[in-house]
Amino acid sequence: MSRYDVNGRLYAAEPQPGECLRSFLRSLDVFGVKKGCDAGDCGACTVHIDGKPFHSCLVPAFRGDGCKITTIEGLAETGEWHPMQKAFHDAQAFQCGFCAAGMIMTAVTFTDAQRADLPHALKGNLCRCTGYRSINDALHGTCNIEPDVAGNALGASLANPFTSEILTGRARYTMDIAVANLLHLKVLRSPHAHARITGIDRSQALSIPGVVAVYTWEDVPKRLFSSALHEDHLVDPDDMMLLDDVVRFVGQRVAAVVAETEAAAEAGCRALEVEYEILPAVFDPVVAMQPGAPQLHAKDHLSNSGNIFCTLAGEIGDVAQGFAEAFAIHEQTYSTTRAQHVHLETHGSIAWKGADNRWHVRTSSQAPFAAQKKLAYVMGIPARDLHVFTERVGGGFGGKQEMVSEDLVLFATIKLNRPVSWEWTREEEFIAATTRHQMTTKVKIGARKDGTITAMDVEVVSNTGAYGGHGSETLGAAMASPIAAYRCKNKKGIGHAVYTNMTPAGGFRGYGASQTTFAIEQAIDELAVLLGIDPFAMRRRNVVMPGDNIESIWQEPSDASFGSHGIDECLDIVERELAKGNGIVKPEGADWLEGQGVALAMLECGPPTEHRSGAEMRLLPNGTYHLACGSTEMGNGITTAHKQIAAHILGTRIEDIDIINADTDRTPYDTGTFASTGTVVGGKAVHLAAEAMMADILAFASRHTGVALDQCRLDNDAVFCGNRRLSLSELHAAGTAVDHRFSVNRRAYLSPRTIAFNVQGVRLAVQRVTGEIRVLHSVHAADIGKPINPMQCRGQLDGAVAMGYGWALIENMVHDDAGRMVNPQLRNCRIPSFADTPHTDVFFANTIDAIGPLGAKSQGECGINPVAPAVANAIANATGLRFAHLPFTPDRLFARLAAHS
Amino acid sequence: MNRFDYIRPATVSEAVAAASVPGSAYLAAGTNLIDLMKGGVVRPERLVDVSHLPGLDGIEHFPDGGLRIGALVRNADLAHDADFAARFPAVAEALLSGASPQLRNAATVGGNLLQRTRCAYFYDVASACNKRTPGAGCDARGGQTRLQAVLGWSEACIATHPSDFCVPLVALDAIVEIEGRSGRRDVPLESFYRLPGDTPERESVLEAGELILAVRLPGTAAAFAGHARYLKVRDRTSYAFAIVSAAAALQIESGRILQARLALGGVALKPWRTRAAEDSMAGEITGPDTFRRAADIALADAQPSGDNAFKIELARRIVVRALSQAAVGTPKRMPALPASPFAAVSGAITYV
Repeated sequence: MSRYDVNGRLYAAEPQPGECLRSFLRSLDVFGVKKGCDAGDCGACTVHIDGKPFHSCLVPAFRGDGCKITTIEGLAETGEWHPMQKAFHDAQAFQCGFCAAGMIMTAVTFTDAQRADLPHALKGNLCRCTGYRSINDALHGTCNIEPDVAGNALGASLANPFTSEILTGRARYTMDIAVANLLHLKVLRSPHAHARITGIDRSQALSIPGVVAVYTWEDVPKRLFSSALHEDHLVDPDDMMLLDDVVRFVGQRVAAVVAETEAAAEAGCRALEVEYEILPAVFDPVVAMQPGAPQLHAKDHLSNSGNIFCTLAGEIGDVAQGFAEAFAIHEQTYSTTRAQHVHLETHGSIAWKGADNRWHVRTSSQAPFAAQKKLAYVMGIPARDLHVFTERVGGGFGGKQEMVSEDLVLFATIKLNRPVSWEWTREEEFIAATTRHQMTTKVKIGARKDGTITAMDVEVVSNTGAYGGHGSETLGAAMASPIAAYRCKNKKGIGHAVYTNMTPAGGFRGYGASQTTFAIEQAIDELAVLLGIDPFAMRRRNVVMPGDNIESIWQEPSDASFGSHGIDECLDIVERELAKGNGIVKPEGADWLEGQGVALAMLECGPPTEHRSGAEMRLLPNGTYHLACGSTEMGNGITTAHKQIAAHILGTRIEDIDIINADTDRTPYDTGTFASTGTVVGGKAVHLAAEAMMADILAFASRHTGVALDQCRLDNDAVFCGNRRLSLSELHAAGTAVDHRFSVNRRAYLSPRTIAFNVQGVRLAVQRVTGEIRVLHSVHAADIGKPINPMQCRGQLDGAVAMGYGWALIENMVHDDAGRMVNPQLRNCRIPSFADTPHTDVFFANTIDAIGPLGAKSQGECGINPVAPAVANAIANATGLRFAHLPFTPDRLFARLAAHS
Repeated sequence: MNRFDYIRPATVSEAVAAASVPGSAYLAAGTNLIDLMKGGVVRPERLVDVSHLPGLDGIEHFPDGGLRIGALVRNADLAHDADFAARFPAVAEALLSGASPQLRNAATVGGNLLQRTRCAYFYDVASACNKRTPGAGCDARGGQTRLQAVLGWSEACIATHPSDFCVPLVALDAIVEIEGRSGRRDVPLESFYRLPGDTPERESVLEAGELILAVRLPGTAAAFAGHARYLKVRDRTSYAFAIVSAAAALQIESGRILQARLALGGVALKPWRTRAAEDSMAGEITGPDTFRRAADIALADAQPSGDNAFKIELARRIVVRALSQAAVGTPKRMPALPASPFAAVSGAITYV
């Protein structure tokens, strides 16, 4: 038996043959070691072996024998935090926290030279949430937090309440629990883009030691559903099954194998013999719309529309007349790419039957309540017998607004009556999880000589892939706010969401609006150039203002209205900052061309469909509060914001409010944390609940003391009734004596929806020899109303802007002619690393919203939308060439730059 | 991952004997092999662990300025050896431009030489690949060819060699020391790799069981220290394999080139040294004309293997830039990566 010294504890254990140190350490319940990619690309699994950092996923486990292994749990050797943990705490250098352990383990080994050269030194660690700005702060000793003082919660930069757990490795993400008697599930995925399964021989797989069960399409309920999660399931087409006898994209589940170990389940998948009848496939949505194209889904006779899942069209005014009035007209087709969310925690869930005889599903989801409803339907069991919950979620960005792992584990656990777990690999995330919708957008736009837009005509083709979840909703978003952002009497549009044999697309931060914003914001610039008008002036002249109808291509009345309006201030800020400059000059030489660009984005806060949230508050015997809210915390900072909203109303510290969230048993209903609703809907529910809590306390205090209600007031941890002071714990005791429960519950609904704005400014240099792009100055201004927690709001924007740069400059999912993704690894399908991410100056417009809770509006979603078009506009400004298709990688710019020069 | 035997020999000769059995693979750090085994891309029947073998982890300096790097020297230790970096700055620059600190802490010199191509079709076990399964065909042909070879490729294989480290090594006349059943032999790195031809599964001249013991750099190579650069174009600022890279080294006297060295990465299944281009610069004045002529010669035989003709022109431009940067002189300090918040502070640019 080998002996492993992990964090000073000796383990007598033997790793499995071929096991890597990452999985071995986790098998010892050392859960601070995270799995992000299992291929040495992301750094989440970084541990020290004899004091040096290594990717533990690439170290054979037996090499740890006789060495001193240190993980994040062992960093605070004396019980005192390591100074680096303290630095990450003070800078709040994380959002979801999944990368933090690996980031810290790498950073603590830095020499002064490495600390001075972080772009090189941090190459081996990826973060998808922060845009690295706060990490840079931590490594330079910047403190971003303020003290938690009673009565000062609103607008204070308070620390994430789970900071200690996250930075010491004690925070439990979805897969970070040891479950006795656990089975592991793996799926075999289709190598074909379109095929009928004519036979599956499971005998070899079942003969593998440890394999417990194999499930195929023959075994599962024949209920159609959509994996997309929304309040109203009717917005998504019921077009998939747990397992199907037709596969419609490379990567679709073919069969599930359940085994005693992950290795046995994987071996079982490899041993399955599947016969396929290959069917013709189609990947281009334009081709898929043609008569005679291969059909993805059987349609009934009433609505036979081929592969077009959804068409949205409309016109206001008279577009033909509008173009007739135009002095200049710009017309161009723009296109955007698929992108993967790359939340560092992959999808995964664990299901078991509890002592209460109910089914429990622990998952990584943005919408556990919607998942509960859907699971109950698919399995044919009552929702009350089902408990779906999250603990810590390692990032979402829309990718977890999807039920893609819970269904099979629940199915298997019901069948086998044993706990079942399924953790996705990074490759599965790339080939089988949803992506951003690839859209092609044709824009025709005309304006008078003075810049006044007279007509807009937009055509969108959206590739929704093999299944239609989110297809209509993203198309709706694509046809809405980017067009509504401009005041124009004559607007027309048509959009199609089309099935193809590609990986299904889904929700992704920006949600369809990103794609149209990319097109329209470039068209506005082109029109400005035609007219000789400054891009800022062009936008000021045409952007929608209070009093205007907020309308896209439909005349129906909308529930969107301005609770506040800060777009003009955002434009002013970005123009001022770009003019002021930041002192960074372009690299020397005539081969470097410099230019600047701007783009704006408008967001209706919340989806047009229903969205609701509940919050529950209780006064506890010790005089502190309990808050329960259904929203998911996935790095968006919503638990901090909700606590701050409640603490502000109750005049207390956030430390005196404990919080639980996203749990169908223990929190009130919440539609889901997506579409930027965490603050505006969930926050509103918390606001109402906290007000009700205060009213309840004061009403009881008044009854209890006989002092008139208007003479009673709450003061942090006590009530004053006239001159008498009663601590909240005394008051609670008094209430308990007469069976008063100090418990309140409130709900919030979305409508009306207010409107947020974001403006991005970029100055950059383009190397005309190589096509390289260097961002020199990046400025972002956001009209998000009153920031509940400015530090977190800035972090959300840092992350959104970084994601925007990734989409514009780096990320590239490459599929070949057979619909197979060619680069399904983080090494080859890249997301921005520290060195790729420019520093962005973030500013907030000084607005207080009349609709959102405490003056706040949405802030997590929209920051990404203006980034790619601002980059495109800056490239056009620098080179005189319009690059209308993402991504702007060197090889794609280089050919035209070469021809031009 | 497949089941395999694991052998831990005590000496080099035991290792060679053990690995001479067909189906064997050497395991050093395993940063590439473990990843490939996890994905089922390679399935060795026995792993011969050489990571602990004595005497292979030292850097020896010779009086003539040359040196011998043991096969088990970690990339991090080599790159941060100040003496080494001063004498062979382009090699250090190449090492630091690749991988991450965590990987360089593990990865060895010998393993770097033998790392496998990053061709996506090689990695995807559902694709046909002659390298993985001889005779199976090559799905990269007619597939996504953006990153594939433009020099020395064959119908059977159009993959590229991923190493940064080997590009300046081959330019600087590095020698590979090999031990096999029939004893020791030295092979210049330039002739160590095989072009794919009809047998892309055979990547080097190593025979069954042969083990790399060390890499030697001759003293003459240190004479280029004042004018040596490694330049790399990639999709992302850091942590990405090269689309095209170039190692350029010059000896200059009074503005005239005495000797030039030039090798390209990312363009072929081996680091591509181009002696004709080197010779064209000898005796010439440093400057764009000389460098452009060299670039044209270096890429004269290049042919797109698909939709990647852009790489040929890009490679010409990278050659010109690398040579121009080398002519200016080796920087005293490793420049910062460009897009980072610190690039502007240092004011330096490199790595295009």
